[in-house]
Amino acid sequence: MSDVPILLEMRSITKEFPGVKALSDVNLVVRAGEIHAICGENGAGKSTLMKVLSGVYPHGSYSGQIVYQGSESKFSDIRASESAGIVIIHQELALIPGMSIAENIFLGNEPRKRGAIDWKAANRMALDLMARVGLQEDPDTLIKDIGVGKQQLVEIAKAFAKDVKLLILDEPTAALNEADSRHLLDLLRGFRSRGITSIMISHKLNEIEAIADQITILRDGRTVETLDVKADGVDEDRIVRGMVGRELSSRFPDHTPKIGDVFFEVRNWNVRHPISADRQVCKNESFVVRRGEIVGFAGLMGAGRTELAMSVFGRSYGVYESGTIIKDGKEIVLKSVADAIDNGLAYVSEDRKAIGLNLLDDIKTSTVAAKLSKIRHHGVLNEVEEYQAAEAYRKELRTKAPTVDEGVSKLSGGNQQKVVLAKWMFTDPDLLILDEPTRGIDVGAKYEIYGIIQRLADQGKGVVVISSELPELIGLCDRIYTVFEGAITGEIARADATPENLMKQMTSTKKMATR
Amino acid sequence: MRKFFGTSVVAISAAAMLALAGCGSGRDGDSGSSGEAAKGFAANSLIGVALPAKTSENWVLAGDLFTNGLKEAGFQGDVQYAGASTTVADQQAQITAMVTKGAKVIVIGATDAAQLSTQVAAAHAAGVKVIAYDRLITNTPDLDYYVAFDNFKVGQLQGQALLDGMKAKKPNGPYNIELFSGSPDDNNAGVFFDGAMSVLKPAIDKGDVVVASGQKDVKQTAIQGWKAEGAQARMDQLLTSTYGSKELDGVLSPNDTLARAILTSVKGAGKPTPIVTGQDSEVESVKSIVAGEQYMTINKDTRNLVKETINMVKALQAGNTPQVNDTKSYNNGSKVVDTFLLPPVAVTKANAAEAYANDPKLAPLTK
Amino acid sequence: MSRLKDLQKNLFGGTTSNARQFGMIFTLVAIVLIFQVWTNGLTLRSDNLIALFQQNSYILILAIGMLMVIVAGHIDLSVGSVAAFAGILVAKSMTEWDLPWPVAILFGLAIGAIIGAWQGFWVAYVGVPAFIVTLAGMLLFRGGNQFIGNANTIPVPEGFREIGSGFLPEFGPNTGYNNATLLLGLAAAVAVVWRELRARNTRRAMDADPAPMWVSILRMAIMVGVIAFATLRFASGRVGTSFPISGIILLVLVIAYSFYTRNTAGGRHIYAVGGNSRAAELSGVKLKRVNFFVMMNMSVLAALAGMIFVARSAASGPQDGNGWELDAIAAVFIGGAAVAGGIGTISGSIVGGLVMAVLNNGLQLEGVGTDKVQIIKGLVLLLAVAIDVYNKSQGRFSIIGSLMRPFRRDDPAAPVSPPDAEREPAKAAVSG
Repeated sequence: MSDVPILLEMRSITKEFPGVKALSDVNLVVRAGEIHAICGENGAGKSTLMKVLSGVYPHGSYSGQIVYQGSESKFSDIRASESAGIVIIHQELALIPGMSIAENIFLGNEPRKRGAIDWKAANRMALDLMARVGLQEDPDTLIKDIGVGKQQLVEIAKAFAKDVKLLILDEPTAALNEADSRHLLDLLRGFRSRGITSIMISHKLNEIEAIADQITILRDGRTVETLDVKADGVDEDRIVRGMVGRELSSRFPDHTPKIGDVFFEVRNWNVRHPISADRQVCKNESFVVRRGEIVGFAGLMGAGRTELAMSVFGRSYGVYESGTIIKDGKEIVLKSVADAIDNGLAYVSEDRKAIGLNLLDDIKTSTVAAKLSKIRHHGVLNEVEEYQAAEAYRKELRTKAPTVDEGVSKLSGGNQQKVVLAKWMFTDPDLLILDEPTRGIDVGAKYEIYGIIQRLADQGKGVVVISSELPELIGLCDRIYTVFEGAITGEIARADATPENLMKQMTSTKKMATR
Repeated sequence: MRKFFGTSVVAISAAAMLALAGCGSGRDGDSGSSGEAAKGFAANSLIGVALPAKTSENWVLAGDLFTNGLKEAGFQGDVQYAGASTTVADQQAQITAMVTKGAKVIVIGATDAAQLSTQVAAAHAAGVKVIAYDRLITNTPDLDYYVAFDNFKVGQLQGQALLDGMKAKKPNGPYNIELFSGSPDDNNAGVFFDGAMSVLKPAIDKGDVVVASGQKDVKQTAIQGWKAEGAQARMDQLLTSTYGSKELDGVLSPNDTLARAILTSVKGAGKPTPIVTGQDSEVESVKSIVAGEQYMTINKDTRNLVKETINMVKALQAGNTPQVNDTKSYNNGSKVVDTFLLPPVAVTKANAAEAYANDPKLAPLTK
Repeated sequence: MSRLKDLQKNLFGGTTSNARQFGMIFTLVAIVLIFQVWTNGLTLRSDNLIALFQQNSYILILAIGMLMVIVAGHIDLSVGSVAAFAGILVAKSMTEWDLPWPVAILFGLAIGAIIGAWQGFWVAYVGVPAFIVTLAGMLLFRGGNQFIGNANTIPVPEGFREIGSGFLPEFGPNTGYNNATLLLGLAAAVAVVWRELRARNTRRAMDADPAPMWVSILRMAIMVGVIAFATLRFASGRVGTSFPISGIILLVLVIAYSFYTRNTAGGRHIYAVGGNSRAAELSGVKLKRVNFFVMMNMSVLAALAGMIFVARSAASGPQDGNGWELDAIAAVFIGGAAVAGGIGTISGSIVGGLVMAVLNNGLQLEGVGTDKVQIIKGLVLLLAVAIDVYNKSQGRFSIIGSLMRPFRRDDPAAPVSPPDAEREPAKAAVSG
């Protein structure tokens, strides 16, 4: 490999923010035509490093050298780096939903003819670019009408429109389902064979193992090591060791479930889509939860798991049609979120930042937000009780924050998730529904969250976990339901759960109970 | 602990308050409220002038005249205009600020003559003399003097000119006319209208003159805020509703701005120019009169009005009682205000050159 | 650590975050002092202070309601028109229908509530953006004012004028001051001391060390000193004048609404809705009810402000309320509220409103014309918010914006500052 010319070298990059050293003395060597993965826990400095490279943090705001294509580069902004062929695709896609694919691809870079945009040429070039990324759509299709997977491809096509030499992808598969992820990884391999260099940041270690040539691991803003995947025989555990600086004996804490009787049951649940009323998003679904049990819901993206959870949680999604909820032997009617909370339900949402937390709040305010009545006496909120509650959960969940006065926006993903968990634990729920509880959370924090989930179950609560990561469901849950196109297609006990098994039922309407 | 807590709270705060209270008081009893004008005041005192927003040239001119006139008389002048949108509140604050600054006399051209009584009262309590300029401030016993043109007379002149003008153009009636009046929140608007009607009413009753639209009530004829666009819109609407086939002979307009708006509307509708009255001798209207469009205006020479006002201030400074010529007619709702009235002059094309001979801005227009 | 640094840390908080909350107050104090010098002492003279409060109480009352509307993520453009509409009806009710003035005040508040319910209905239950609903309301109620009043000015009776131009009564022995104002000041001083001592207890209950006793005493001394200064100023005005009734109404509202927004569930819900409405809804907050309440509350306060202005002007006129919405909105934003909602405090808005008021007053005392005053006010608004935005974008301290948090959550009398050793350096949000 060492005979391949070096495309990019970042030498002792140091970047400081007020009060914090985000990067110190980081080195990165990327050779032409390879896929180079950058790994590290949240806060390790991966995104910061990429922002330095792409000119978001301009030359002069950091120390160190960037040598690109053999000469030192001093990018003053993103435009400068893009004109040198470095294109970064962020986790949050930068597409305009109301514009067409072609319009998005050429946004800010429109082909012109005598001052006016030449749409004929644009569409022709767009088709060409789309073919290169394997996207078969009409270039006039609006972005909002295509799935996330295809949107990701549009982003990459957009990069090609800028004549990319070095493609940087930040968590490209985070929002994609298995099939789309596979397609994207294949695409990256194709680019490699055509000599395009890629840098990829990802939390999905299996993907990194499968695709990367070189892996650079960052920890606490420093370079830990660079591994050659083939030569060093790298596997997932090896990467994890580098990231956390210790061996993780197991990805899940040991746990012996103490399962009691069925206490929560949903029967024949039917819900329609909030806007298109002819679309049924929950089709006659029924499930049960026992005390002390962790129940998983497996399914592909768009299978309707979140829709099911939210419609049960006080009809906070869709239009309720029919179905009953039975708790502790009695039928309950939950017409609002307040009803659901009062009846001991809690829902930890899939998207923490968008709908789970008020990012303007601090930890203590967030902690008590869903049950203010607990700290209210004669209409007045008691600040001392608020503080004490938040502090107790901070200690119990080991949330990393100097005090509970810290704003939640300053916390890492894992710690934000702990605050959300604290918020719902504070409501004293009997049933917790956790939607993608470990999305975007690094390995160490995941382990802790699993532990918290198990402790909650051991306290006699029922826990429902919705996850797109099959190993997580298999490792954590006592029982797993599979969902496909708005219907429950199977129920698999822990002992029988294998990825193949689950995948089969997640993709077929045929019900095969293997209880 | 509890008990100590409570006691200490009161003790600490009381001690602190007393310590500071002991520093002594400078409370200035009820100074000035008796208002002994006879004493007069220093010759270089502050004189406040609060005028409405700069919506007509007249107010701008008045402001300039006050600034210069007060300076020449040796006073410190503080001339303020209200803002264009927040008029009343601005003027209230300005008057209060003038009192605070220690003005000895405040001259007020009110934006809303009924909404200043609190400020006038505060000024009076602080021993400041208040002169209402051009608009009578209502509902306050604390107003000292009023200086204005004889507005009833203005209306009479307008009414008479309207009749004369129509007769000169078309010897025999009946004549079709329309009536316009000024902003209902301006006390003068009603006075103009009443003056004009005192002349027109007999003719209307006789049938010589017809208000073809039937809109004779002041509520129907009023133009809010003296706004030109309001007058134009009303005229447009009258032409469409009433003058499809009829001929419009004359329009009673209370001032020049409205007169020109009315003429614009008539021209826009392609009708022959009627006899239109006016007031204020604005530059554009004088041009219009010389060109034979607007029929008449009133010359209320702002120079004279400002001069008389400054004379009053001078009299007050010297400790004398200012000269007034009407102590009966102007009741503002709380008292009869001592008033100095100036006579207005009606100006048509015929006497324009003579009337404006002394006006540096208007005289050249008449040649 | 030197004694001086220690003092500074304890008084204003050692960390930047605690120092911030004083930024706006410093700005206000600076403006006051600049004008005090420039106007040769007129600014802080008792008659001017009294006038300042009387002239601005209605705008500040609007700012209270507007703050809540803006925090919830809306805007209200109709307040001036609603104030004028309520004003003319109240004036008519007294002069033409002979309602006694206390009943007329209740009548005015009821009108505000009805208008508020109307606007709240469209915003909360139909989902029309507040900008549109209140733009419509602005036209609707302005027209209503002219329609009902025939664009006339209608005077109001003496008793009613008290709420706009009245003062605390004179009574008791001749102390050379207004005794009622002295008592009010004493009560305020007691409240401040009580608060400080209570805050120390609260800190103890939160397992944190309260600041040293001498710091508390110094802080109390400063606050009591300021209160005493203000009290004596207000109490030593010309006989017959003292602390204005409209100022008392404002004071009561500020205290009540500050308490409401900070210490009750309803107040929390407003911030939650503005910060992230979906998250709030999923936490059990009744979104529609909160939106309805803030809009309705705003109109009630607008009606009150309208009545106070009418009382002060002794008459209701067709130009009442012109441009008030802009003054109130400016006060709220200068006071550090976020355009997107979720951030802002009552006290911040009041300080923001006072900055504008003092600026206005000071420039008027200097004889600067309204044209230039408007230009200056426009620039101040733009600058205040721009500096804040710039500082935020630079990741540096935001002078006004971040005032909010301490104002809102903590006790402003007790900046929370645990010893530095316990504090990790605040980590900037660096995602990796």
